[in-house]
Amino acid sequence: MKMLLNPARYRLESSPVPDQQQEEDEILGEVSIPDPELLIKHPLHNRWALWYFKNDKTKDWHANLKVVTAFDTVEDFWALYNHVLPASKIAPGCDYSLFKDGIQPMWEDERNKRGGRWLINLNKRQRNMELDSFWLETLLCLIGEAFEEQSDDVCGAVVNIRNKGDKLSIWTHDATRNEATMRVGRTLKDRLNIPRDITIGFQAHSDTMTKAGSTAKNRFVV
Amino acid sequence: MSGLSPNEKKMSGSATNIPIRRVVLNDPSAMPADYSTTPGGTLFSTTPGGTRIIYDRAFLMQCRNSPLTKSPPPNLPRIPGVTCPEEKAAPQENGHGRPPAPQKPPQNKNENGDEPQFEMDI
Repeated sequence: MKMLLNPARYRLESSPVPDQQQEEDEILGEVSIPDPELLIKHPLHNRWALWYFKNDKTKDWHANLKVVTAFDTVEDFWALYNHVLPASKIAPGCDYSLFKDGIQPMWEDERNKRGGRWLINLNKRQRNMELDSFWLETLLCLIGEAFEEQSDDVCGAVVNIRNKGDKLSIWTHDATRNEATMRVGRTLKDRLNIPRDITIGFQAHSDTMTKAGSTAKNRFVV
Repeated sequence: MSGLSPNEKKMSGSATNIPIRRVVLNDPSAMPADYSTTPGGTLFSTTPGGTRIIYDRAFLMQCRNSPLTKSPPPNLPRIPGVTCPEEKAAPQENGHGRPPAPQKPPQNKNENGDEPQFEMDI
């Protein structure tokens, strides 16, 4: 089931295969076109949407939430990522979310409401040091399906930019799937290179919703 | 896709090579018009019991500077503070040119070695 994709390679060829560069020069003469490999977009397993939540207190929560763009190829992901501000540069109170297309980045969504999140709390210093690389790594895990079989358990990820400390979380679909949840957490911790002695916790959205404070109890830790 | 339990998957695990087809083109006009299509059809990977397209970190990073990533998505909305710098005041009022004060130089943009954010390159 697990399979790293070795992207298929196609190139323009005439029948025998001599030196490729020379051959292309012959075929194409003065016209130089880039390696076709560079012009082929690589499809993602899922279509994803990047969301932006703006902290505008004069507006309703839902009105502050906007889709930036959806994409379903590796190249379209980078075209978007390369042209939006990194997480560390958006205003405090704002969020980025990346969710599978069709899932809204909110607890109430049908695919989220029984789920929960692996939560990583960052201190103030980490905004400059680690936030952007953590967020990018998380995005790459999502679009590359790094959770393998558990990728279907994953709905998306959120980064909350907050003055009191930024938060990064991966949201899953079903908080009662113990084994799958644990595997997602281990993969995340591993990919973000979080030291062994630091634990991260998983909270069910239902617990977070009913809790008045900001700390729901951890259902799991890794 | 992943309807199978892990056990079932293991049992169906007789290894099969990814089918590879080489397509010979003699003329650039034989290239598909659509960037997302490969000559002769698109076949990326097939796994027993289903297909999941998995990309490792190295491959994804390698695509970062592909020519196809140099322009923003065509439908990228203009969201100040996200897809363009935050603006303090509306930049162009009728009858007035730009505000005299030059915009604040973008701070720390290249500090971490990233590419400039809003470069366009056609």
